[in-house]
Order: sequence, then C-alpha cells, then structure tokens
Amino acid sequence: MSNSATQVLFDAPGPKGRRRILLLSILSVLAIAGLLAAGLWQFHANGQLDPNKWVVYLRADYLAFLGQGLWGTLKVTAAAAVVAFPFGLLLALARLSRSSLLRAIAITWIEFFRGIPMLLVVYAFLLALPAFGVTFPRFWMLVIPMILVSSAATAEVFRAGIKAVDRGQHEAAAAIGLSRRDAMASVVLPQAVRLVLPSLILALVTLLKDSTLGYVVSYNELQFQGKTLVSITRYLVQTYLVVSVIYIVINLLLTRIALALDARMKARAVAS
Amino acid sequence: MIGFENVRKEYPGGTVAVEDFSLEIASHESVVLVGSSGSGKTTLMRMINRMVEPTSGRIHIDGDDIAELNPVQLRRSIGYVMQASGLLPHRTVLDNITTVPVLRGTGRREARTRAQELMETVGLDPALAARYPSQLSGGQQQRVGVARGLAADPNILLMDEPFGAVDPIVRSELQRELQRLQHELRKTIVFVTHDIDEAFLLGDRVVILKPGGIIAQVGTPQEILADPADDFVASFVGADRGARTLHVERVDGRDVVVDADGRAAGVLAADGPAQERPS
Repeated sequence: MSNSATQVLFDAPGPKGRRRILLLSILSVLAIAGLLAAGLWQFHANGQLDPNKWVVYLRADYLAFLGQGLWGTLKVTAAAAVVAFPFGLLLALARLSRSSLLRAIAITWIEFFRGIPMLLVVYAFLLALPAFGVTFPRFWMLVIPMILVSSAATAEVFRAGIKAVDRGQHEAAAAIGLSRRDAMASVVLPQAVRLVLPSLILALVTLLKDSTLGYVVSYNELQFQGKTLVSITRYLVQTYLVVSVIYIVINLLLTRIALALDARMKARAVAS
Repeated sequence: MIGFENVRKEYPGGTVAVEDFSLEIASHESVVLVGSSGSGKTTLMRMINRMVEPTSGRIHIDGDDIAELNPVQLRRSIGYVMQASGLLPHRTVLDNITTVPVLRGTGRREARTRAQELMETVGLDPALAARYPSQLSGGQQQRVGVARGLAADPNILLMDEPFGAVDPIVRSELQRELQRLQHELRKTIVFVTHDIDEAFLLGDRVVILKPGGIIAQVGTPQEILADPADDFVASFVGADRGARTLHVERVDGRDVVVDADGRAAGVLAADGPAQERPS
C-alpha cells in the first residue's frame, strides 16, 4: 500500500538517482551506527554496561514489581477505553444530530477537552476538586481525565468515519424504506466503525501512553513503578530502557492486532 | 394507479427541475421516462416514493395523496432498484434481499424462504446467497437489486437507470429478464433511462421529456415511431437521421429487412409479432 502510494507520488528513480539514494542510505546507516556506538561508549565509560546492573531485571522480584505496574497500566487503559469509546460514539452522533441543542453540547464538550492538555485535567482532579470536597480514589483520578480527553478525540474519529461512508449508502437505505435511525444503526455505523478501526487502535495506543500521567496521582502504573524502582536502585538508564521496551512491545502488538482485524474485515466486505 | 397532478419542483436557489408535470400511470403498466440529463426524469420518479418532495402539485397512488402518508412506510411498500445496485456492502446477498420484509415484520425464516425463491425468479444461483455484494459480478449485483426491490411483493416498482452501469451484453440479458419478469408479475413499473432503445424495449408507454420535465410526447413505442410529435422527438428517437428507417430487400425470394446502413436486421414475416402486450 505504501509502495503504491510512493509510486503515485514520485517518479521511479533513474540510474543516477538510484546511485545517489544508495550513497545517502549507506552514509545515514553509518552515521546512525556511529551515534549508537558513541552512546554505548559513553555508557561503558560511566559503567552503565556493567552486567550486574542488567541481570537484576531477570530477578523474579524485580519482574514482579514491574509486572504490577504493567497490570496497573493495562487496567487503567482498558477501563478508560471501555467507557471513552462508546461515549465518543455518542458524542459523534450528538454532533451530527438534527437537534441544535445536542449539537451545541457535543461541540462544546469536544472542543474543550480536545484543546486542553490532559495534565491540566489530572491536576483538576488532584488539586482543584478536592478543594471543594470532591475526592476520587487514585484509580479514578487517572481514569476519569483519560475518559474525558479520549472521548473528545474518538468522537472526532467516529464523526470522520460516519462522514466517510458513501452518500449513496444513505440514499440507498432511505430509498428502500429504512428510517433515519435504522439507516444509521444498520447501514452507516457498521461501515463507519470498520473504516475507523485503525484510528481507534491508534487512540488506544495514545490512551496507553497517557496512562503514564499516573505518576502525578501516584497510581501504580508501569511508569510510576519504574520511577519507584529508580529511587531504590539508582539504575536510571537500565530501568527506563526496560520500561520503554515494554511500552513499545505492547503498542506494536496492538498495532498488529489492528492490522489483522482490518484485513479480516476487508476480506469479508468491501464497499462496492 | 399513480397520478401526477400539476407537479412542480423548484430547488432553493431558483433551479426549476420540473415545471408543470401531469401524467396518469395505469396499474400493471410499465412506463419509461426517457430524456437527457436535466430533463427531470429521476426527480419525477423519486417523487413517487417521496425521496423528493414536490414544491407544488399532488401525487396520488390508488387515490391516496402520498403527501399524507408516512414516507418510511410508503417507501417500504414500493420496490426500488437503483443504479449500481445500491446494495449494502457489509451484508450478505440474502440479508440484502430480506432487509425490507424483515423491517415490515415478516418472520426471518419466512423472509429467507421467499428470498431463495426470488433469487431463482431473477435468475440467480441460490448458492450465491451467503456471498457479499463485492464478490458478485455487476450483472449479478443488479439481479440482487431487482430481487430486493421485489422482496416485499410491492405493487409498484421504481427503477432508476438500473442497467446503466453494466456492459452491453449483460445489459441486454437483464433487459430480456425484466421483460420475462414483467410478463409473469405484472407490476406497475416506472423506469428511468436516457437510452431510447431501452425505453422502446421495456415500456408499454414511453414518456419523452424535454429539460424541465416538459413532456415532448407520450405514447406506445409504435405511436412515437410512427408519428413523432415534433422535431425534438424525431431527433431524440433518431428518426430524423433515418436510423429508425428499415427497408425491405428481396433476396432469394424472401423479404429481408435492412437498416439505414444496409445491414440485415431480419426477415419479414407474413403476420405481425405474436407477442401480447399488457394494456
């Protein structure tokens, strides 16, 4: 797919172009390798590559400690997604509804939470609301801001999906006698959700990364556990590298699942 | 019976799609609205199931003013076959055909049995029932579209250039199938096309439209060919170019009919065609 996109956008390079591309590729690979080597040399010079500082991450208690954080991260992300995604869909429908009141509410909500950094929302739950006597458990102090911000973002994803369904499908549904509601529920939404599935997984990845704000409210998610580990062991570089790898692996897995799902649904039904 | 009474359609911005249109369409009759783009033919047809609301004038079906009927109920009682089939891509062929009957409250099992019968009626292999529309050829998709239009057993069938997007061979096959179907089912059909040959083939009566929904001529294909009302009609049906003129040439003792270019069109028979036409 990216291959054909490249072919559409650019001419195939000629012999001169191909030589230049090869030369530049070799130079960049060398430059990157050089930078990595310099970094590793620095680590070595400062004793960071000392095997004793790494093997601890094979110890059961270290792994259990980080595993606890991973479990917290997954719980927070799942809880936020399960509420935020359906809620985002409702917001999208409200924004597209014929009632101007519903539209106004949805637009205000979406624009407000899309424009505000999530850290501020977390602070509101951590600092501002308790001043008025409203307090939440740590879990919800993290999850509610995630829901508020993510619902606004996914509402726009769903709206784009609904808009992207071919006009002819609305027409066809109306012509054979589906009411507006029937047409939305059984014709437009199933196709829209399929269209936006990759973007939804992307929203899930964003949610997972937003959960790192758990350190602000001291919720035991992966990043916070890592921070605690650092303060005990002083192995800063090692800990954060391990934590980063875990995040990257999970997000890669999510992306793979999204691609597999997308391929399966495409094989079943393609919009004619 | 469908009646148009002084129907006018004007869009906001002042474009007049239909100026003043009146026509009676008898039950069991197949009427083809034919004209070039901008003639208002599709607009007129879409008024029958209230996909388009007239600015003024009345449309009635069997005596009921359709403006007083619920549009959704009305549409469920009228079959609609559209260009490029308009099938729902995420549903199987069978589910597409049963959509309207199920909405009207027919049991799922009964609707499925009926859909299987309909697939045979329109010449589709029942083995295709579980396929998705994208897995069918254009001609097969169009047959599914016709089956869906007939699924709720409506009295009226609206067909919006249904064969416009398929290749000529499949088109003539589908046209013959429709003739056969109409012979069996005797629906009231309103058919829209820009192809005058298709109109003459499928219409008991043909309505030739000028821009603005003005009727240039209404009549059977024979009447229109025999006596074009004006130069516009003559030019539209090709009579002015001699394209419709056939000559008889005697070859080996038989009368061979040739067209304007001298190509053989057929053999002249002693009596007229045995085909009966619904009146």
